[in-house]
Amino acid sequence: MSRVLFVPRPESLTGIIGWGVYIPRQRVKADEIAGLWGFEKSLPKVLWIEEKAVASVDEDTVTMGWYAAKVAIERGSINPEFIGAVFVGTESKPYAVKPSATIIADALGVSKKKLSTDMEFACRAGGEGIRLAIALVASGSIRYGLAIGSDTAQASPGDVLELTASSGAAAYLIGPVSESVARFEGVVTYITDTPDFWRREGSKYPSHGEIFTGEPAYFHHIVEAVNMLFNELGLRPGDFDYAVFHQPNGKFPLQVGRKLGFPKEKILPGIVTPWIGNTYNGSALIGLAKVLEQAKPGERILVATFGSGAGSDAFSIVVRDGIEEKVEKGPKVDDLLKRKKYVSYSQYAKSRRLYIRNIG
Amino acid sequence: MIGSALTKVGRHFNRGYKELAGEVISNVISKSGIESVDLVVVSNMLSDSILDQLDLSTILMQNLGMTKVQALRIETGESSGLAALEVAWAAIKSGAAEKVLVVGVEKVTEYPTYKINKVYGKIVDYEIEFIRNITPPDYAALIMKAYLRRYGLKREDIIGWPVKMHENASKNTYAQLGFKVSPERVLDSMVISDPIHLLDTFPIGDGAAALVLTSNRVLRNAEVEPVELVHVSSAISVQMHLRDDITRLPATATVVSRLKEKFNEKVIREAAIELHDSYSIYAYLLIEEFGLANRGQAPKVVNELEFINISGGLKARGHPFGATGVYQVAELYKLMTEGFAGKKFDGKYAIAHSMSGPDYNARLALLQKIV
Repeated sequence: MSRVLFVPRPESLTGIIGWGVYIPRQRVKADEIAGLWGFEKSLPKVLWIEEKAVASVDEDTVTMGWYAAKVAIERGSINPEFIGAVFVGTESKPYAVKPSATIIADALGVSKKKLSTDMEFACRAGGEGIRLAIALVASGSIRYGLAIGSDTAQASPGDVLELTASSGAAAYLIGPVSESVARFEGVVTYITDTPDFWRREGSKYPSHGEIFTGEPAYFHHIVEAVNMLFNELGLRPGDFDYAVFHQPNGKFPLQVGRKLGFPKEKILPGIVTPWIGNTYNGSALIGLAKVLEQAKPGERILVATFGSGAGSDAFSIVVRDGIEEKVEKGPKVDDLLKRKKYVSYSQYAKSRRLYIRNIG
Repeated sequence: MIGSALTKVGRHFNRGYKELAGEVISNVISKSGIESVDLVVVSNMLSDSILDQLDLSTILMQNLGMTKVQALRIETGESSGLAALEVAWAAIKSGAAEKVLVVGVEKVTEYPTYKINKVYGKIVDYEIEFIRNITPPDYAALIMKAYLRRYGLKREDIIGWPVKMHENASKNTYAQLGFKVSPERVLDSMVISDPIHLLDTFPIGDGAAALVLTSNRVLRNAEVEPVELVHVSSAISVQMHLRDDITRLPATATVVSRLKEKFNEKVIREAAIELHDSYSIYAYLLIEEFGLANRGQAPKVVNELEFINISGGLKARGHPFGATGVYQVAELYKLMTEGFAGKKFDGKYAIAHSMSGPDYNARLALLQKIV
């Protein structure tokens, strides 16, 4: 007689212990950027981008990532000494060579016995950081892992990308499912070699394949990853209460959601890009934080990241008891969305160092 | 002409030029009911600069396993397609070939717009014009300004063409931009080169089209409905800076007057016409050069012309550069036989017109139904 052993998916042993978000205070209006460069008046509306967050001269990937991680640890109410891994997903690290993760980890008081790496995969390295943290926790290698997505995204002045490329960060503290307020039910990743967006060594700004970034890149990879997740877990769109997608603009997540069979009502709660822009590695992860801050225990959330090059991670997350209490332990995404100060294009250009000055 | 085939103009990210050309060649050969051809004339504008490929006709034939044919590539800027037709026509007329395959193919979307615009700009004199940053849309803008000033028109007065072209393209399943636009949307679209807006000009796209031409001897045994290619003509004009009046298109005027001499004006008035409307201002000037409206009056007659650019024109069907002229003729062949873009045409004649840049060269082909 043979017995079939039930082997749980490793990710089901883990969950979210805490989360944190940082959005810079400065905002520049998309209409102002579009007007300056002579884009179609309707373009910001078509893309659904109203304004974007602008990191100031004293904000970068490290400072924003540090703040988001600090809040994640506070929400988790754990001793940072027990964190065994810190991953920073970014495509705008302050140093070309020298890890950002070590700066953030030491500033937070994380244990010196740890793994710590900066990761680059356009907008989805933060999502891969979460997968790595899940694997390390599930295998028993570490107790807690910290995955951060943080970017001060670059866009060439006058490129359509400039309407959306913005700054922000999100951090997730991953730990044992027993301590978590949201558990991972399943996670899959779909990756191909698709050159839709890139920045070459030494280039100040990225290049992109224009309309090629849509169908063969963003839409294809997210749809494939999410369908893979549905098949593996035996779930359908109707089983989810929320769907959060990477948000290069406000329009794409609604379109990809429609393709997958999600009504607008399940996507809108996680939408942030129209008011802060595309925070790249922060994008889907800030959307998830916004959803966690309104979700009820038992509700199921779909998250799908996207990174150019290209790939997508799809997560199924189920909210657990105790989440409401965690929400109150740090600034909420809604608070950060409201905390803003408008700046002109010239102030934005100064903040993002678009003017080249001769110093000394 | 015993057959035509075309593929939808668009951004074919998953297909290269070999696949695009291969598809239309295999379609047109099977439709024409012939087993072989003597000569293949390939028209293509940018293979050397965009695809890094010289001798395109040889490489294409090798890849399609067609090594028993003669093949050559033709390039005369934006009018390459009709130039290929001219060569095919001459080969048959001279007796050098009996069955000729004309293939227009262009694959440009491997690269971003700025790169495509840069190589497209080389259709004007690189050493004199391009190098001073004068490109085809700039000339179109200067001509449009001159036209508006000459006839006291406002920008809004010449907006009917793109609206009509999008309307036509909405019925053409092979068109790249098969959606309708309002006059407001044209005016609100991005400025490309003032006063030219994005919706005054063609979209960037890939495409392939093919035709089979035969001699009368071969035609006698053909089982398909033929259309006669009765006249092909081309001309070259002087550069923009040497023109007395930039609102005239001299090369087109030459080929039109030759057509009138050989046939008559009635042919033009009764024909279904495909015009080279790379910028909407050119459509108005061409309507006037063809004698379909008096000078300065073209904007008023646009909506009365039924069989003009029923494909949607370069504006909305699209402009896969070297393939465009072949598209025009392939569409007109379909229109005269099975019908095209939701239309049937009872007339006897059809005219394809193509030019490069601001009429630096112009080409014209006259098709006639065989009754």
